[in-house]
Amino acid sequence: MHLKYESQLREPLVYGDKTYHQVTEDIVRPIEAKPSRLWYIGFFTAVALLMFGVYSVYREVTYGIGQWNLNKTVGWGWDITNFVWWVGIGHAGTLISAILLLFRQGWRTGVNRAAEAMTIFAVMCAGQFPIFHMGRVWMAFFVLPYPNTRGPLWVNFNSPLLWDVFAISTYFTVSLLFWYSGLIPDFATVRDRAFTKLRKRLYGIASFGWTGSTKHWQRHESLSLVLAGLSTPLVLSVHTIVSFDFATSVIPGWHTTIFPPYFVAGAIFSGFAMTQTLLLVVRKVFGLQDYITMGHVEAMNKVIVLTGSIVGIAYLTELFMGWYSQNKYEGYTFWYSRAYLFSPYGWSYWGMMACNVLSPQIFWFRKMRRNLFVTFFMSIIVNTGMWFERFVIIVTSLYRDYLPSSWSVYYHPTIWEIGFYMGTFGLFFTCFFLFAKYFPTIAIAEIKYVLKTTGESYKDKMGVYEAQPLEQFAHDQTHH
Amino acid sequence: MEKKHWQSFGELNQSDAYQKDTRDEFRDELPFVGDESKSFLAAKAPRRDFLKYLGFSTAAAAVAASCEMPVKKAIPFANKPEDIVPGVAKYYATTYVQDGDVLSILAKVRDGRPIKIEGNELDPFNGGGTSARVQASVLDLYDTARLRFPTIDGKEVTFEAIDKSIAGAMAGPVVILTSSVTSPTTKAIIAEFIAKYPGSRHVTYDAVSYSGMLLANEATYGKKAIPSYHFETAKAIVSIGADFLGTWLSPVEFGKQYATGKKLNEKAPEMSRHIHFEAVASLTGANADEKFLHRPSETGAILTALLSAVNGQGVTGISDAKLKAGIEKAAKALTENKGAALVVCGSNDVNAQIVTNAINEAVDANGKTIDWTATVNSRQGVDADFVKLVEDMNAGTVGTILVHGANPAYTWYDAEKFKAGLKKVRTTISFGAKADETTELCRYVLPDSHFLESWGDAEPKAGHYSFMQPTIFPLFKTRQWQDSLLKWSGNTNDYLAYLKNYWGTQAGGEAGWDKALRDGVINPATPVAVSAAAFNGASVATALTALASGKKGGKTELVIYEKVAIGATGAANPWLQEMPDPVTRATWDNYVIVSPALARTLLSIDLNHNGQADDYEVNPPKPVVKVTVGGKTIELPALIIPGTHPDTIGIALGYGRSEKMGKSVVGSGKSAFPLLSFNGTTVSNTNVDVTITATGEKYPVALVQTHNRYDTTQGERTEVVKELTLAEYKEHPTEILEEREEELKPWGGLEKFEGKGTLYPVYDRPGIKWGMSIDLNSCNGCGACVVACNVENNIAVVGKPEVLRGHEMHWLRIDRYYSGDMDNPNTVFQPMLCQHCDNAPCENVCPVAATNHSSEGLNQMAYNRCIGTRYCSNNCPFKVRRFNWADYMGADSFPHNQDILSDVVLNMNDDLTRMVLNPDVTVRSRGVIEKCSFCVQRLQEGKLEAKRNSRPLEDKDVKTACQQACASGCITFGNLNNPNSEVSKLRKDNPNRSFHVLEQLHVLPSISYLAKVRNSEEAHGKAEEKKEAHS
Repeated sequence: MHLKYESQLREPLVYGDKTYHQVTEDIVRPIEAKPSRLWYIGFFTAVALLMFGVYSVYREVTYGIGQWNLNKTVGWGWDITNFVWWVGIGHAGTLISAILLLFRQGWRTGVNRAAEAMTIFAVMCAGQFPIFHMGRVWMAFFVLPYPNTRGPLWVNFNSPLLWDVFAISTYFTVSLLFWYSGLIPDFATVRDRAFTKLRKRLYGIASFGWTGSTKHWQRHESLSLVLAGLSTPLVLSVHTIVSFDFATSVIPGWHTTIFPPYFVAGAIFSGFAMTQTLLLVVRKVFGLQDYITMGHVEAMNKVIVLTGSIVGIAYLTELFMGWYSQNKYEGYTFWYSRAYLFSPYGWSYWGMMACNVLSPQIFWFRKMRRNLFVTFFMSIIVNTGMWFERFVIIVTSLYRDYLPSSWSVYYHPTIWEIGFYMGTFGLFFTCFFLFAKYFPTIAIAEIKYVLKTTGESYKDKMGVYEAQPLEQFAHDQTHH
Repeated sequence: MEKKHWQSFGELNQSDAYQKDTRDEFRDELPFVGDESKSFLAAKAPRRDFLKYLGFSTAAAAVAASCEMPVKKAIPFANKPEDIVPGVAKYYATTYVQDGDVLSILAKVRDGRPIKIEGNELDPFNGGGTSARVQASVLDLYDTARLRFPTIDGKEVTFEAIDKSIAGAMAGPVVILTSSVTSPTTKAIIAEFIAKYPGSRHVTYDAVSYSGMLLANEATYGKKAIPSYHFETAKAIVSIGADFLGTWLSPVEFGKQYATGKKLNEKAPEMSRHIHFEAVASLTGANADEKFLHRPSETGAILTALLSAVNGQGVTGISDAKLKAGIEKAAKALTENKGAALVVCGSNDVNAQIVTNAINEAVDANGKTIDWTATVNSRQGVDADFVKLVEDMNAGTVGTILVHGANPAYTWYDAEKFKAGLKKVRTTISFGAKADETTELCRYVLPDSHFLESWGDAEPKAGHYSFMQPTIFPLFKTRQWQDSLLKWSGNTNDYLAYLKNYWGTQAGGEAGWDKALRDGVINPATPVAVSAAAFNGASVATALTALASGKKGGKTELVIYEKVAIGATGAANPWLQEMPDPVTRATWDNYVIVSPALARTLLSIDLNHNGQADDYEVNPPKPVVKVTVGGKTIELPALIIPGTHPDTIGIALGYGRSEKMGKSVVGSGKSAFPLLSFNGTTVSNTNVDVTITATGEKYPVALVQTHNRYDTTQGERTEVVKELTLAEYKEHPTEILEEREEELKPWGGLEKFEGKGTLYPVYDRPGIKWGMSIDLNSCNGCGACVVACNVENNIAVVGKPEVLRGHEMHWLRIDRYYSGDMDNPNTVFQPMLCQHCDNAPCENVCPVAATNHSSEGLNQMAYNRCIGTRYCSNNCPFKVRRFNWADYMGADSFPHNQDILSDVVLNMNDDLTRMVLNPDVTVRSRGVIEKCSFCVQRLQEGKLEAKRNSRPLEDKDVKTACQQACASGCITFGNLNNPNSEVSKLRKDNPNRSFHVLEQLHVLPSISYLAKVRNSEEAHGKAEEKKEAHS
């Protein structure tokens, strides 16, 4: 269990002189208050985007994939780029919740709930792309290995796309359970404070009859630990398997053994950036500065500069291998189609380099790590860069592959391809706005758990003891 | 007493209740039987019934939900015709006749519908080969733009009424205007008609004129005819602008002959040598061993110099050093191969052709490679005759004109004058099958039947006959024009009776006639020997003087050329429009061909500059240029085509048609016919002084190949295509083999590559293993296979907007690569289709196993399993897989989802057009991948045939559509497991030239290629370097 004493030198994880009640008040307030104008504007904008996305998908399903600008050479474009991008974003949540839980990183408590929600929503968005990129989406159930009367005819277990089906559905299920099990005590809190019958009933159902008994807490703790254990390998496996979509192929630029670690690092990189984007907004809008502290922001920026540098090394390794292998096909893809700035897609490669490798280096400076404006701006830059990365990998590898005769014309998206992407933003933010309104955005129970050891007021009190000579302290402790 | 077992007291006592129970097996009344008064709905449904309903309704819902296809009605035969077995195709020998071109064909008829055309192997010239145009012509039968009934002034009438009306209107003098008539009976009928109307005459007019040759031959040989050429016996071939593999005279025949001379025997490597002079890149130029560029205005000078050189007087009057060297080479090759040399010239100038004849005479071609026995009948038009006709028409001295097969309102260089003349003709009668530009202007229109609906005969070459028989009852109210002529000249016989009468004795009675129809041809009993004609050189000196005083070229010169697929009249056929031009790889448009040098100065595009080249390649909109020719201007997009003279531009004929010709001509190009010029004797396809300016505008051109070189900034991709020169090959025959060995060394070399290149075990492949070999040396890139594949496999036409987006569906394409000097490069054509890899990268990535491997080595597609992830296509190194981006074929169940497609595609979905579909091949729905199946339907049929005859499969049982269409015989297909199959033998006999594309990937293709060997003296730069590296 936790070390019950944390040094005074460490920054407190919760600011202000909070009591348990105050914590509850602060976090549950947005749920119980009427939503602000800002919330309505945001929510309906998101719904509008979602509707545009639905229409874009409707067109694609009705008229065919020809509604997009893909062609005989470039079979995947924005669709799979967006898929990998969203899956990548969906990595931070579980990483924060599971791995940091296992590593006993107390600071995760302030951000884990929102990060996990983000994971769930991002994976939901990601899932739309492999489903709707199918030419015959109404036959999508063919990818499920179910007993059937066609022989039976099984799925192809050799195909990385099938591995994706398993990997992503497993990841989604486990993340959802993990997230929800954490929510149960907090729902109970909301239920207990409910002022209408409906709320009481709904939150009552949602909290599964939580009573807060020791038995419940004990089981809850064990479940969290088990799910954390389950999720941890998933964090690594999901993006590894997504990277297999490319790595197991024969296409120069895809056929690369470096992909699994490089993809995982990239996923964490983008996931943290997205978490930053969302949390900076949430903390401002709901006034949760005391819980999502500068310390959190800084910690996440450190992860960003680390993972950004890892992907940077991966990019350079690829370039090196493009030359060192002396394979003319690899060489062409890496040194001409990508790294040559004036080649048709050179801009996307250098966009990626600038956003993912160069700009995060700014976070070597503490001042920058703790600057909210810089952090917010950088989080957007990193997400853009990571989108470029997936676009570079997919499109620049495909559009000029082995046979020069098949080299493609310039691939650019149609409005419906963009619409589909915008639609997933709509889905994501619709979900996120609903989450922010109806769910406790910060894990109340967990905050309370760390409040004792790392809260500001607690630390202040501890300061008194720390200033005392040991004898005095010992005397005080024994003479009460 | 027998011991009795009982189960209940009831049974023991046989009570009434028990007896009732045993009588009625079920305790309760079944809800559906018995009580009539209860309605079905009122009946109570116990638990078991509930489960039954549930099961049924779930199953029904599942069945209903998964039924994708709308049910279409098929009406079975009430009385089955005796000679039709449903599902079994019949082949009828008949004849393709279009614009004077004649080819003996077999029409495949399925359930009463002709659906495919194959070459007739009994045709001694084409030997079963076909061209793209012949392959596509079956679609013309089902063309929705065909005229469906006779009209007077555009109003529908009956044939009886029109006959009556014409009888009164036939004013003298009557002129019958036709394209070249090769049919002996038609000629006889025309003669009868002319006899009936004294003062009338027959004028022959060909859209693309060969009068220069006809007149030159008349001057030098005393015969107004065209001889047969024998490229197969020529060791040295020199062509001055004659595109004999693409469009000139008889390309199918010449392609076959040329390939014979280019086939390479590894043990005794010799082949013909072809030196080509041209101004604008052509298919033949691309195939030449050596090619030299010149201005069109220099044609005369080249011929003069060549004549002088072959006579041993050296090359004179040529200032360009490269060109001069070329002529010297040509002269050397010709004189070294006297008696086995041939010179052809594409010019329509009489003097140029006279000098060509003189050169041929000097190199002893007459009677050796030029045959005057079997003279060619397919081009008989003499321009002067037509000029005279137009004059007469304008002078008002033509009373009636009957037009068949000619369309001067479109194809004559001065169409306006013809149209003006036509207005002055009292009675205008057209037999046009479609409302073409001339037919539109005629008062009486009696649409002719399609050749697949017609009786007839043809004499393509003197002494060789080909017969035509209907393969389907006329679809519309059409009548063969011969019937009309017979009627109007008072003959009571119809054309069939006339034909039978005519041939009755000549063909050898009823039996002979039947045999002639069955075979489709009558050839001379013994093959006639090649003969010479007496040469009269009197006109040569005058011709040389005339050539010397020919017009000097201006800054820019223009060549108006025919496209391989479109020719002069093919633009209305969607298959031909969508067939990529072999030279430019463009579809659906004509354009101005400019050289890379001109592009640099005029358009500021330098193909040697990576950025500019990329920009030009990846963006379909191409710069529009304005060409001015003697007051006429034309604005077209420009395509940069290497191998074109810097000061020459080219524009293709055949575009800019009247919209009444069909959906596929709408918005497609502009007509170049008005740009032709007339030199007083003949029409010329060149204009030696034009101006070209850039307009700054752009126009999208639908190219299917944007990058044209296989060397990249990171090295030459020689694993894709291999070429070398004959000299190199002779010096180092195993070069390619060693290259492959070197490449595969890390995996144990060629021998062990299959096993060592993979972690997985290698499996035996017993039984049949299908394989193909493609000889790049004999493939000339003509594209007949591409269209044959379209027809055989129901491949969708997608229209220009879709081709622009890279959505074309062709399963087989002919890649064209340039190498060497970009201003005058070497060209290699490489037919590229699914390689049917044994370790196919597409197969293992499909999540649902929709694409998988057959036990016979086929990489096969299960369309109804495919969910359309396109992963297979991405992972195909050859990019041969095609995705159905939209509902091109009307094959899926979503309503109104074809709204977004172009009219051309919708027209291909018309019920009439769909009659051309091959019922043996599934029509693919939207959202699935498709690709070459090695014509699996033919393989199945062939296997069945062998099985039915209780014998092992032989080569003759199966031919893929591409293989069958190819006149050059560059595709060999068969069972690789049979050591005696042709393909096995070919691979065994050609170990030094065989290679697999991208072999190092260990995808193990079933297709092998034979490297291109060029009979040029110089070694490639690449080999030179290699030699240096070795030494």
